[in-house]
Amino acid sequence: MRAVLTLLLITSLSLPVKAIENTILTNENNIQTRIDSIGTTILNKNKIDKRIIFTYNKKTKKKALSADKTITNRQIVIYDGLYQSVQTDDELAAMLSREISTVIKSYSGAWGGTIDSAQVTLGSKKFEIVADKRAVDYMVNSGYNPLALIVFINKTCPQKRFDKFSRHNLTSKRLARIYEYITFKYPQYLENNEFIDNPYYQNFLLTSIDNRKKLEEKIETKSTKEIDYE
Amino acid sequence: MNKFIGVILLISALLFPIANAEELDYNYQSTFFVPIKMSITEDFSTKTPLNEGEKLQFKITEDVFINKSKILEKGTLVNATIETIITSGMNGFPDEVILNRFEIPGIKNSQIRNEYIKTGRNRCYWVYPLKWALTPIPFVGSLTNLIKGGHAQIKTDDIITIYYYPEWK
Repeated sequence: MRAVLTLLLITSLSLPVKAIENTILTNENNIQTRIDSIGTTILNKNKIDKRIIFTYNKKTKKKALSADKTITNRQIVIYDGLYQSVQTDDELAAMLSREISTVIKSYSGAWGGTIDSAQVTLGSKKFEIVADKRAVDYMVNSGYNPLALIVFINKTCPQKRFDKFSRHNLTSKRLARIYEYITFKYPQYLENNEFIDNPYYQNFLLTSIDNRKKLEEKIETKSTKEIDYE
Repeated sequence: MNKFIGVILLISALLFPIANAEELDYNYQSTFFVPIKMSITEDFSTKTPLNEGEKLQFKITEDVFINKSKILEKGTLVNATIETIITSGMNGFPDEVILNRFEIPGIKNSQIRNEYIKTGRNRCYWVYPLKWALTPIPFVGSLTNLIKGGHAQIKTDDIITIYYYPEWK
């Protein structure tokens, strides 16, 4: 009788643990499926004939300790910390498009893309802007709203003090360049702006008043010069 | 009762795949393609600044046939969009221009496989070894930062080829 009771007790204790494990696994599987689905749609609709895979990783990225697999393995790793900032499919598409555009560069050029990959790494400031622009194209071609890229970057990328000696652009500059790119290439998204009632997008509008003023002047004067954004 | 359940299960099994099959708006099964050769109507260089989204004009240089029937005539004008311009940078990084959305009469953009990429002269191959060789002398290695890559050019006698997949959606 005692043995039966002990067995029942063990079983009843282990059941909730298994249930929790199953819930976690199901949750991770759902996230991976969502990432795969949106990522593959972007690849297919943009006719990207290079192999790229997507992996969801629960860990937080430790950039200093791990090599970036985006360029070396053509594997896009979505870390949990960043995924938590994704609210809509448009925002997830923005995050994936941004990474895809970096990977694509690693496929072109001499030595199986090694030289171009090195250029992306060494000239990261320049290619950061290029990757942002390509991400906008990929999103539009896949049927996602490119303004979500502005929202996503505005939410997730911090604003540094200077970028003169940095390998990365100021986030405000990146956002301004993306906004300019959409203004010239895909003005329909600004004319019928679905994000106008989005508080994150409004926050971008508020923090980019000076940069947007510069863009308005460029449009008025029909200039082709590159704007020096702040 | 059992028969009824059996019939219901059978109907569900038959209908389920159909109900869940989502038709995609692309199908890349066909490998049959037709090359379309064209050249630009005016010399183009990234030396003259342009905005992304602007159009460049090309003309088809050879008649295009599918199964002996002509689908495109030599001289047909084609517009292409400047998708992205990557400007040249320090240490010999070249200019790069990416063209896409070729507006060819009777051909959908979804049936064209690639975008067209033109890169300027890449000077990184000799600039980086030079930089590393000069690095032991203080500040001299940084002088290579002043060397920029070449402009991307498309001349009227350059033939560019894009690939048309007529059986794609």
